[in-house]
Amino acid sequence: MGGEPAVVRVEPLASLSQPDSQVIEVAKGVLETLLGKIGVAATVVIQDKSKVESGVSQIVFDIKGEDLGILIGRRGHTLACLQFILRLIVGHQIGVWLPIVVDVEGYKARCSERLRALAQRLAERVRVGGVPFSLEPMLPYERRIIHIALADYPGVTTESIGEGNARKVVIYPK
Amino acid sequence: MKELIEYIAKSIVNAPDDVAVNEETDEEGVKFTLQVADEDKGRVIGKQGRIAAAIRTLIRVKAAKAGTRASLEIL
Repeated sequence: MGGEPAVVRVEPLASLSQPDSQVIEVAKGVLETLLGKIGVAATVVIQDKSKVESGVSQIVFDIKGEDLGILIGRRGHTLACLQFILRLIVGHQIGVWLPIVVDVEGYKARCSERLRALAQRLAERVRVGGVPFSLEPMLPYERRIIHIALADYPGVTTESIGEGNARKVVIYPK
Repeated sequence: MKELIEYIAKSIVNAPDDVAVNEETDEEGVKFTLQVADEDKGRVIGKQGRIAAAIRTLIRVKAAKAGTRASLEIL
């Protein structure tokens, strides 16, 4: 077989360590357009993006309005879809991938807080009892919260096991 | 709902002018068919249909608000 080595040209999406406000406004506009076309009356609030989690600054859009449970969906499924589509549109339109997080009335923020508290409680139990504990299956970003919460916790380590929707975090004694 | 599908599709394809959405209503609800340029099909379907699934979830929100059902097919 002849031929020459394939040339693969990969252009990195311009990465923005500090997304400029103009890009954020574009993204906000896309989200507002989506909400308008979905037919929910809501306002989008840009949250303080200085909130840095594990060194990655995220742009958090919090959607505020009445009766927005419909946007969250079962276990946040609809919200995850909305965020996915928003990232896709913004990525396609401005050629820049942005770490956008879409929240509804602080729903994710509350869930994260709850997950962190749960992680601490269970880690303590594992550390004292010396028996691994496996949590229920979670979404990637939820597992990430647990891993980060316990990264520096003395006496335990965490690992994700299982595939796809069944993937879950296990806390092991060290 | 049609505008929602159109807006999302046109925003993620390379040939937005080739995006067409058809709407048909029967007793089961509203059926939408989305047509895009051949080379854009992957862009509206996604890996393992992830993009199509997300679009369906969003139109279902709108349908639920309108008290109807909606389905989306990609041609």
